This record gives sequence, C-alpha cells and structure tokens, in this order.
Amino acid sequence: MNISRTTHTNRFSRYRLPPKSCPRVLRTAWVRNVVAVAIALTAVCTTLLVAQNTTPYKAPRTADGKPNLNGIWQAFGDANWDIEPHAAAAPAIAVTGAIGATPPGMGIVEGGTIPYLPQAAAKKAENYKNRQTLDPEAKCYLPGVPRATYMPQPLQMVQSEKTILMAYQYAGAVRTIYMENPGPAPADSWMGWSVGRWEGETLVVDVTSLNDQTWFDRAGNFHSDALHVIERYTRTGPDHLLYEATIEDPKTFSRPWKISMSLYRRVEKDAQLMEFKCVEFSEELLYGHLRKPVAR
Amino acid sequence: MTLRGIVLTAVLAAIAFAPAASVPVVAQSVAQKAWTAPRTPDGKPDLQGIWSYATITPVERPAEFAGKEFMTEQEAVAYEKRLLQENNRDRRDGTAAEDVGRAYNDFWWDRGTKVVSTRRTSLVVDPPDGKIPPLTQEAQRRAADRAAARRNSGRGPYDGPEDRPLGERCIMFGSGGVPMLPGAYNNNVQVVQTPDQVALVSEMIHDARVVPVSGVDARPPLPKNIRQYRGDSRGHWEGDTLVVVTTNFTDKTNFRGSSENMRLTERFTRVSEDTLLYRFTVEDPSSFARPWTVEIPMWKNHELMYEYACHEGNSSIAGVLSGARAEEKAAAGARTPGTPR
Repeated sequence: MNISRTTHTNRFSRYRLPPKSCPRVLRTAWVRNVVAVAIALTAVCTTLLVAQNTTPYKAPRTADGKPNLNGIWQAFGDANWDIEPHAAAAPAIAVTGAIGATPPGMGIVEGGTIPYLPQAAAKKAENYKNRQTLDPEAKCYLPGVPRATYMPQPLQMVQSEKTILMAYQYAGAVRTIYMENPGPAPADSWMGWSVGRWEGETLVVDVTSLNDQTWFDRAGNFHSDALHVIERYTRTGPDHLLYEATIEDPKTFSRPWKISMSLYRRVEKDAQLMEFKCVEFSEELLYGHLRKPVAR
Repeated sequence: MTLRGIVLTAVLAAIAFAPAASVPVVAQSVAQKAWTAPRTPDGKPDLQGIWSYATITPVERPAEFAGKEFMTEQEAVAYEKRLLQENNRDRRDGTAAEDVGRAYNDFWWDRGTKVVSTRRTSLVVDPPDGKIPPLTQEAQRRAADRAAARRNSGRGPYDGPEDRPLGERCIMFGSGGVPMLPGAYNNNVQVVQTPDQVALVSEMIHDARVVPVSGVDARPPLPKNIRQYRGDSRGHWEGDTLVVVTTNFTDKTNFRGSSENMRLTERFTRVSEDTLLYRFTVEDPSSFARPWTVEIPMWKNHELMYEYACHEGNSSIAGVLSGARAEEKAAAGARTPGTPR
C-alpha cells in the first residue's frame, strides 16, 4: 500500500503525501534545458500539492539518519468506541448515565465498512450486544494491534537503531519492534510479533502471531488468530504522525482493508506515561460472582 | 572500515576480552577502569540489550558465610551444586498437598543456576554484614496496624480478589521491581536508549519505565499526592553511570517493609561487554535506621524477551475464590445436614 500512488480521493486524501517523483522529473527537465517545461511541471506539482492539501514534510532525523518518531503520541477521536462510522449510541449499561454513551464519529476504516464474512458479521453483532462484559478492555486485557494505538491514553515511542519500543499507558502494554528480523515468533501473543523496516519517511511494521482474543474497539469488531497487520507510521508535521494499517484475516474478512488516522504529539511540558494498572478495576467484573456472600 | 578503525577495533577487542579470562574478584575494579563501554551516537555509554539478574546468590548473607564477603571459587561451586540439588530434588515423602507444593522444580522455574559473578555471599553489599537493616519501630507498628485492620475488618484471606496478594492478582511481582530483585522466573530487563530517554522494560508483567534522562526533556516530577505502584522515576548520568531516582510509591508497594516514602536510587554501569552492574540504595528513615544497598552484576542475555500476559492467563484468583466458596458450602452443609441450600 504505497500511499503516494493512491489516486482515488476520499476523506483520507488529506493525509496523502506529495508525489515523490516531482523533484526527479524537474531535474531531468533542467538537464534538457527546457525552461518552459520545467516551469510547467513546477506548476503541475504545485497544483498537485495544493489539491492534496498537504506539503512535503521531512521529519527530523535520529543519529542514524532515520525519521525521528520519538515522543509521546495520542489518538484523539472516537475510534476506540467504534472504528466504523457511527452515530451516537446509548450506554451498554444504564447506570453510567450519559458518561457511558458512545460519541458519534466518522471512524477510521477506509471506505467506511469492514468487509466481514457473513458468519463473522453475525458474531460482531453478538459481540456488540454483550460488549459490556465481553470487551477485553473491560477486563483490562492487553489491547493487541492495532487497537493499542488508538486507546484513549498516550503511547510513547522510544526509537533506537535496532529496536523501537512502543510503550502504551493503557494496561502498561508494551511491544518491541525489531529492526533486525529475529525470525518467527515462538508463539502467538496479545501484542504480537513486530518486525520493522524503513521505507523513506515511513516506518513499516509487519505484525504477526497475534492471538484471537483482542478486539478492534468497544463495538465488538473482532478478528481471528489469522490476523496480519501491516502498520505504517509517517511524520506529517512537527506534532503529527500519520498511522495507517492494512488488516488481513481471511478467516474473518472477505478482503484486506485499511485504517488511517492521525496521532498527535502530547506537547504539554508535563506529558508523560503514567501508571494505569487496571487489573484492580476489572476484578469485580471478572471475579465478583466468586466473592464470599455478605452475611445477613 | 578504515585501517585506523580496524586497529582501534582490535585494540578495543583485546581490552574487552582480557578481563574475561578469569580475573580474580579482587582485581575486577582494576579491569573495570581499563574497559570502556561502547557508546550511543550521542556519546553516552550504550547499555542497550536484554540483561538477566537471575542468580541463586541470596539477598541476605546466610549464616554459613557470616563474616565472609566473598566465596572462594571452590565454595561457589559447592554452593551452586547444593542449591541446585535442593531446588530440584524429587521429594515425595510428605502428604499429597505437600507433594503438589513441591512439584515445581527447575523445569518450571528459571531462577538461575549460578552465584553472582563477583562471588559475593549476599546481594546486600551495604551494611557490610550483608543484611537488610531491621525495620524501625515505626515500620513494625505500621505492619502491626495493617494486620490488625485486616483482622478487625472481619474479612478472611479468601473473601474476594482484593484479599489476595498483589502478585497473585498480577498487579505487581517483586522480581520485576521497582527495584529489581531475582525471583523464580522472568528475571530479565530490556534497555532501550535515546538521547533523552532510557526505557527499562521488565519481563515480569511487561512493566515498562520510560525514564527521562536529559535536561532537554526534563519534566517536573509527579506531585506528591499521585502515587504509583512502581513510583515515579527520573534519571541522569553521573559519568558513565545511569542514575535513576524513584519516589511517589504507594503505601501498598511495601518493598521489604518500606513505606510509601521510600526513595530509591538505582545505578546502572556497564562494566564489561557482558555485564551491566546494577546497584540500588533504599532510603526510608521511617522504615530502616540506615540506607541499604544491593548489588547485582546482570549478565547479557542473548535470548529474546517474550510477552508475560499474567492477568490475561490468570486462573489462580478464580480457582482460589471458587475453592474457598466450595469449602464454605461444604462446611455449612456439615453444620446443618439435610438443609436445602
């Protein structure tokens, strides 16, 4: 999924990067000394850039010359409620009042709809009905990928040459992105097995060996253990990070599909990952029925 | 690589490998001076990698080594052999319950098979007697008050999940820290560095600390009223040593009887290619009459670290609580036979 080659326009087009070919074409034109053509091409490029509503951004570099992704980032929006476009909805349980209501949102799925296989669509509907007790987030379980990225809590990237650490505030989740392929994972896990590489300005992460226990959101969107996620992290400004992911899971979806969203740098001076050990907050839900009955 | 680079590498390699050839313990401080840690691009010592603190050296000095700071090589070999036998011995002489309790041997555990490379007789290096200073009266009173409050609450140890220990609930494991101390398994910490941050990831319950280490990224410490199980860490470099100071612990953290006012200072120094010297000092006047210090030479683990999804796979709490409810039911049935429930 080379985003610079994508031509269709939808609401995601605001994230499109400029065509990388412009400077090279210009240089060739200059060699031929056809000034008029060069001017014309410049105009075309400019028009393209304006049309795509973005300017080329070259991220600051780390010591080894790679785009610097270090920092505390956070998604703002409603993706964790439902990654598909959705209207506002009543809370799963009434006692939370309006606090537990789902805010409306445009979602992050390209094209708007997740291409579920028929049986999987039925399971998703069932998940939604029982989301208050089935959602792994309610149980304080590790969020998996890609959900970890857009939990309503910050994440921190710690970027070294051979290792990029992703630390998430939610549940103290963490994963290592290996920039030197260590070979296949020994077993499936909640946060999967991440192998990264650089494609120009973009960090591409291949995530495999994810188990089938995590969800995409609070709306019950789910996957099987055949899930394969290819993530792309691209700086689009000093404080913006474009996050894209291709989702493949032939047991659950009829075709691969994509999500795309912005992450924002937490610029506050005191921004930091704090401790969110949520096990305690999940114990009543998980074990409440096993408590000693209160004597009468 | 240039010729100069090759020569430099050869010289560095010679220096690096020289101390590896069985240098006596007493000469180690000299060897440490000769060796220079590799550098990150910004010129700091490179501490990155996965380090293991698995060791069978006890935290406190056992009676058999009283007055003795180091084991001889022979003593170390004998000690290792004896402990491994004790840990692995197939004991079937007790009751059925005891038999189950002893079923875990080193096939299940990963507590290491070696004493620390310095052959110290205890991980505690200060006070010199190798013992953690006794708890102050205040700390003893605190512990007694807590026990009394538990008794007076009328709650039993199996009434609900919050009556179980933090480790069983997968909230905190002593070995993962903060600070780190060898435990039964997962004695690994991964270090990842940037110019402004050092991440310390404990394998035990995937606990990550991203510690700010530079003035550029300095952020104010947490306010005193915000308490965290693993505290609030700030770092800085003192020469080639990474120093991490942690405060703001909770009153439930209770490291070795400490209070929430514990001030922990950890020091990480790479003293050889394969050794990261880890020292920590506990200061808490309300709990210990004097500060005390632990030293663990961590060794480079060339294997990878894997996800420890403790809470996600926790069947202990459900098992323990269900067992307790079943026992209560059986006991109630015995008291009132024939009563429908």
